[in-house]
Amino acid sequence: MSALACTPVVLRTPISVKSSFACQPRPKYRTSVSLAAAPATQIGFSDPFVLQLAETLEDSLSPSPLTSLQNLRDASSESLLSTPWPSRRDEAFRFTDTSLIRQAQILPVTQPPHVGKLAIGSEDTNFSHLFIADGFLMNSIPNASSLPDGVFVGSLLSDSSLGIRDKLSSFISDFQWGDMFWSLNGLGAPDVAVIYVPAGVRVETPIHLKYLSVEARESGSKVLPLSNPRVVVVVEDGGEIGIIEEFVSSEGNENKCYWTNSVLEVVIGKGAQVKHSYVQNQSFNSAHIKWTSVKQESTSRYELVEASSGGKLSRHNLHIQQLGPDTETEVSTFHLSAGDQTQDLHSRLIFDHPRAYSRQLHKCIIAHSSGQAVFDGNVRVNRYAQQTDAGQLTRSLLLEPRATVNVKPNLQIIADDVKCSHGAAISDLEEAQLFYMRARGVDLNTARKALVFSFGKEVVDRLPHSYLRKGVEKQVKEVLGRQAAGPTTGHRGRRKRSSRRAASAATRLNKKDDGGGGEVGGQFAWPPKLRSFL
Amino acid sequence: MAQRLHFSSSSRPSPSLPTPNPVAASSKPNRLAFNFSFLPHPTTPTRLCFGTTNRRRLTVASDESAGGPGKKPLLEVRDLKAVIAETGQEILKGVNLVVNEGEVHAIMGKNGSGKSTFSKVLVGHPHYEVTGGSVVFKGENLLDMEPEDRSLAGLFMSFQSPVEIPGVSNSDFLNMAYNARRRKLGLPELGPIEFYAYLFPKLELVNMKSDFLNRNVNEGFSGGERKRNEILQLAVLEADLSVLDEIDSGLDVDALQDVAKAVNGLLTPKKSVLMVTHYRRLLEFIQPSFVHIMEDGRIIRTGDMNIVSLLEKEGYKAMSTS
Repeated sequence: MSALACTPVVLRTPISVKSSFACQPRPKYRTSVSLAAAPATQIGFSDPFVLQLAETLEDSLSPSPLTSLQNLRDASSESLLSTPWPSRRDEAFRFTDTSLIRQAQILPVTQPPHVGKLAIGSEDTNFSHLFIADGFLMNSIPNASSLPDGVFVGSLLSDSSLGIRDKLSSFISDFQWGDMFWSLNGLGAPDVAVIYVPAGVRVETPIHLKYLSVEARESGSKVLPLSNPRVVVVVEDGGEIGIIEEFVSSEGNENKCYWTNSVLEVVIGKGAQVKHSYVQNQSFNSAHIKWTSVKQESTSRYELVEASSGGKLSRHNLHIQQLGPDTETEVSTFHLSAGDQTQDLHSRLIFDHPRAYSRQLHKCIIAHSSGQAVFDGNVRVNRYAQQTDAGQLTRSLLLEPRATVNVKPNLQIIADDVKCSHGAAISDLEEAQLFYMRARGVDLNTARKALVFSFGKEVVDRLPHSYLRKGVEKQVKEVLGRQAAGPTTGHRGRRKRSSRRAASAATRLNKKDDGGGGEVGGQFAWPPKLRSFL
Repeated sequence: MAQRLHFSSSSRPSPSLPTPNPVAASSKPNRLAFNFSFLPHPTTPTRLCFGTTNRRRLTVASDESAGGPGKKPLLEVRDLKAVIAETGQEILKGVNLVVNEGEVHAIMGKNGSGKSTFSKVLVGHPHYEVTGGSVVFKGENLLDMEPEDRSLAGLFMSFQSPVEIPGVSNSDFLNMAYNARRRKLGLPELGPIEFYAYLFPKLELVNMKSDFLNRNVNEGFSGGERKRNEILQLAVLEADLSVLDEIDSGLDVDALQDVAKAVNGLLTPKKSVLMVTHYRRLLEFIQPSFVHIMEDGRIIRTGDMNIVSLLEKEGYKAMSTS
């Protein structure tokens, strides 16, 4: 590693570096650094923090025996040379504050955790479980189990994936739309989990990917262990599979700090179907950045249902690329920010072929004054995507004063024979509904809880498996119940009230502090489904 | 039980009926006091016609020490004034009304006269602000109570356009409301199975199938289904005073009969009904003991079914005091 001395006089002298990155002692000055293999004219702004992080990641991993993985690492490190840390001036991070990560000391996790620490094997055995702890695969599904022939679920590094690797290399191609976090994962992923479904095979039991975060630090320590799980799912023509991704902190880590930076790539062949459920229950002091990149061939179907309630900073980047006509895409996401949390969804759907059908529903609840939610829903209907039918709806519930939500639905339409719609609504609970319940004797507190819960239920009900639904419902109730200890702004229905209006499609909306309040009435018992609110 | 009539007014002759309360007779002039005790189905209308051409407003006041049992006043509204909270526009300009136990009252009036506002104010709707007057329900000051407390006290209003609550199923909602009521009464709450056993006969009463219980409240319901859902809630909650705000609007003939049958089936000597309606049709099914005409935020006339006939023939002009 060679150090580079920089003086104010030096201008753009290309300097070749042999093995790894150079430290930049003076971050304010533009210098260019190029690898030996890169053209000498490459000029970029190298962010020293990014470079240092990349260097640490590189050092933490031994070179991979797999060429595809090594190529990925090389390509990622190259792109990191010229990628700065996202700032609030970048459009993609305008509303998302990444200082939680930026101001911490980042330690990549270098070793898989000890198996004894994890409670593997105590899960519902009806589904095939794949445990990924801190980015390292802890088990693999033996092919003799309930999976049909030809289906492979396991690590790219393991020997049994020999036959798969060649097929995969054609799928793991360059991704033009990634950002710095994508590249960091590409550089730092120790292993790649692969789920491969051959043509025409229908996998009945879903694959449950359980991501555990074991390595963690106490909150307030400003140290973030970083893990980079990476999963690739390839479904060949006519195949069908269900995938469940669950991100949790391991036992005892519920309030600790860590950073999970994960990537999932899905390639769906012609006529194939993938049902993707994504549940995020990370620790409330953790950072969680996830990329989901989906490529859909013609007549394929992709369904995503997401429920995120954890993480202090949680961002989901979703990119769906259409590679052929007549595709179907359904995206339903539910974000809950019940503490000092930021829940962010940046989605992008790109249509280049005709007759696509897509529906996107995003619901978020911000139940805390310092809670924040961000939604950026980009839909690009390009020139040859005629007769596209794309709909997008985002609804946000602001329940506390100073809670913030930033929504930016954006459609970029070039084709001229399309049907696209988008809608955004941000409001408190509907007064008419609240009053209706109160007029039937249900007290305000209970009515609010019921309505808040039922707001998210529309998305949570779309989760295809009942044990997932129950788990998410339980988590949501717990989180909301914990938060409800503070006073809520109530409605005083009888003599005086201040009016409350719903706003729509704003880029930034803060709920006004009305200073009303007070709950009336006692707690009443609930029917069993809602009983645990008490 | 004999029907007893008692009124006194200096401008009217008093009939030769026993006057159990001579004190009221000497009270303020131009006040009419009524005391009735009724059979469960008050099919015999009163025989007095109160068509009056003088400009005096007729107000109804009740006697506290009413003669005879079962004539307790359930709801006493005195000089109620209310405005729209946002704009300050006055809608109710001094409504006076007394509803005793076991009585069926109907309020009719032109559009914009304040009928729906009156029922919403009674229930405690946040859009309206009370600026004067008093409402006493079962001896308690209603205006001081929050909407949920009013409901628990026994006041039920069926909304003109019931709102949808997607995500909350009908059975959960009814269970919540019913258990709230039971808790208030000091009774143990019902679990889902016992509640279903309690609910099932009520479903039959309103002629609804049990599959609607799994649907979300009013979500995707037709107008008739929503109204029947309201009556179902009334049946479940067993309210003492039901305020039915235009329960007949949007209902076809069969649905109307079902609703009326259900309401009639719920009437007891202790329970009262206050209906707001435009049309005679509902009143033929649910026979009122009193019909009030509301205009411009006040009750300007009170009578019985004969008023309704007059109304249908000559319109509201005949009712107006001007």
